[in-house]
Amino acid sequence: MTLEFDVTSQLASFSYQAAFNADREIVVLFGHSGAGKSLTLQFVAGLLRPSTGRIAIDGACVFDSSRSLNVAPQHRRAGYVVQELALFEHMTVAENVAFGVPRGVDRRQRVRELLSFFELDGFGERRPRTLSGGQRQRVALARAIARDAPVLLLDEPFSALDDALRTSLRRELLRLRAELGLTILFVTHDLREAHFLADRIAVFDEGALLQVDAREQVFKRPSSRRVAQLTGGSNIWSGHVAEVAPGSVVVEVQGLRLRSSGSPAPVQVGQPVDVVVRPERINLHRGAPAPGEKANIFSARVVAEYAYGSTHTLHLEPTPAGPSMEVEIAARPYEVLGVATRKEFSIEIDAGDVHVIPA
Amino acid sequence: MTSHLDRAASVTVVALGLAFAVFFVVPFVGLVTRALEEPDTWELLRASQVRQALTLSLWTSTVTVALALLAGTPVAYLLARVSFPGRSIVDALIDLPIVLPPTVAGVALLTAFGRRGIVGEPIEELTGFTFGFRTTAVIMAQLLVAAPFYIRAARSGFESVDVQQERVAYTLGASKVRTFFRITVPQASPALLAGVVLCWARAMGELGATLIFAGNFEGKTQTMPLAIISAFEGSTLGVAGAIALSLILLSTALAVLVCFRLATGRGGRQ
Repeated sequence: MTLEFDVTSQLASFSYQAAFNADREIVVLFGHSGAGKSLTLQFVAGLLRPSTGRIAIDGACVFDSSRSLNVAPQHRRAGYVVQELALFEHMTVAENVAFGVPRGVDRRQRVRELLSFFELDGFGERRPRTLSGGQRQRVALARAIARDAPVLLLDEPFSALDDALRTSLRRELLRLRAELGLTILFVTHDLREAHFLADRIAVFDEGALLQVDAREQVFKRPSSRRVAQLTGGSNIWSGHVAEVAPGSVVVEVQGLRLRSSGSPAPVQVGQPVDVVVRPERINLHRGAPAPGEKANIFSARVVAEYAYGSTHTLHLEPTPAGPSMEVEIAARPYEVLGVATRKEFSIEIDAGDVHVIPA
Repeated sequence: MTSHLDRAASVTVVALGLAFAVFFVVPFVGLVTRALEEPDTWELLRASQVRQALTLSLWTSTVTVALALLAGTPVAYLLARVSFPGRSIVDALIDLPIVLPPTVAGVALLTAFGRRGIVGEPIEELTGFTFGFRTTAVIMAQLLVAAPFYIRAARSGFESVDVQQERVAYTLGASKVRTFFRITVPQASPALLAGVVLCWARAMGELGATLIFAGNFEGKTQTMPLAIISAFEGSTLGVAGAIALSLILLSTALAVLVCFRLATGRGGRQ
């Protein structure tokens, strides 16, 4: 149930390069539209031929430019679900699912199992267009795994649905991975969706795979300024290294000194760096918090705030100096802290949450 | 002022429409009433010349449609899906017989496949076979003039098929042939059916090219339209025979149209 992928491709106005492996997990391909996410799926499915590289599904090589090997999509065993689903509207639901069942398998039995697995019992004789959006999604999923595909390729399959339905389908996908041990590549440009589903995230930009890592790693330790921007890091500052100590460094950003620990890249004093702090990792306190070895503590003033229902986004200016920063806090802490009336706060940022990238 | 003008415009539009509708309907009413008044109509419908012409028309046009399906479908599919050098030229060539007067098509066929034609002459020298003035020639004339109608319709049918569905079918293990017959054709079928009907109707009505290339021989190349011309020119059938033949063609056309509407109407509601 593994996927090995290492491919380059030269297209008309676009050069593509990506390499990653996946094994019984959901890898979310994340990026803007046109970044190369869907292209990746088509390379895996065999619908597009890369220029060079190697792709193996479940240990079997399906593309290898050095051996001029390019297995046809019919023989790749990769289930493919596109955004528009492409259900065969002239067939019944059962016929749609049966379309992918290989010869030699008891079709009726297999279709019955799949329909029941996706809670579609009793819908077999219906036409796809008479089903609800969520049911149509499940038909597309059932059809895609009907031939026991070890790899499932999902190209923004939920983007046309309303929020509640998306949530339940995402849960369904997690169940699918858990029960069938599938390797799933999931394309999305929705950050929340990426966060919810991903075991690992692959961040694409302009045809290049910038970073592929465990979900938390990508969000907390982006490998570059661009990755930080793409993954919603709103506090990205330019600064320089002020001190280097074993296990931690101190950076200075617009007159504010911040201690950082855990950043992997070695840096030297005076070196220019990008500093990334995620907005939800910044704490507000009414009084001064207990000074800790690893915490950065300074005061700041709220200059603007925006309410999003369950969360609030605050814009802060550190005093006396420092970069303006964005803080995201939940509705309840917002009330408890009395942000609506009080504007001066102590700010606490754990050194582990200050991520330093050599510029 | 404005409302006055508007009302006048509406009245004019309705009046023009009605006049046009009358112009459309009156000839057919005339044909049917004349046929009913004519005492010999039913007698003439059973005349051997009429029966031969009808049989010939039916089977030649059916063969024409079959050939158009066989050879025209791949052409239509290629035009819809594959971009190759010279595609626009092929496209224009296929349109040519649609806009060309059929008599010109007849002359062109004669210069190609006639006894003095660039292809016809060597073939006759080698094999002794001639195309002209036999039933084969009728089918060739019909095919040249009518097949483009099928190809045109089939092409737009193939263009309307969701390519994503074909691609998904490949990933589900379906070969290109299986995908074509199970995914592409069913979705293009209303357009394919329309193309068949147009092609068949055009073949049934073919006159100019047939007359020039195949000639007008009773039992061999005399199709229904040719029999109507002959009747007017003084064959034994006479004008009454022409009316009877026209009545047959009219009712056939109506029957085909009704069946076609029913078939595509049901397809559309699915």
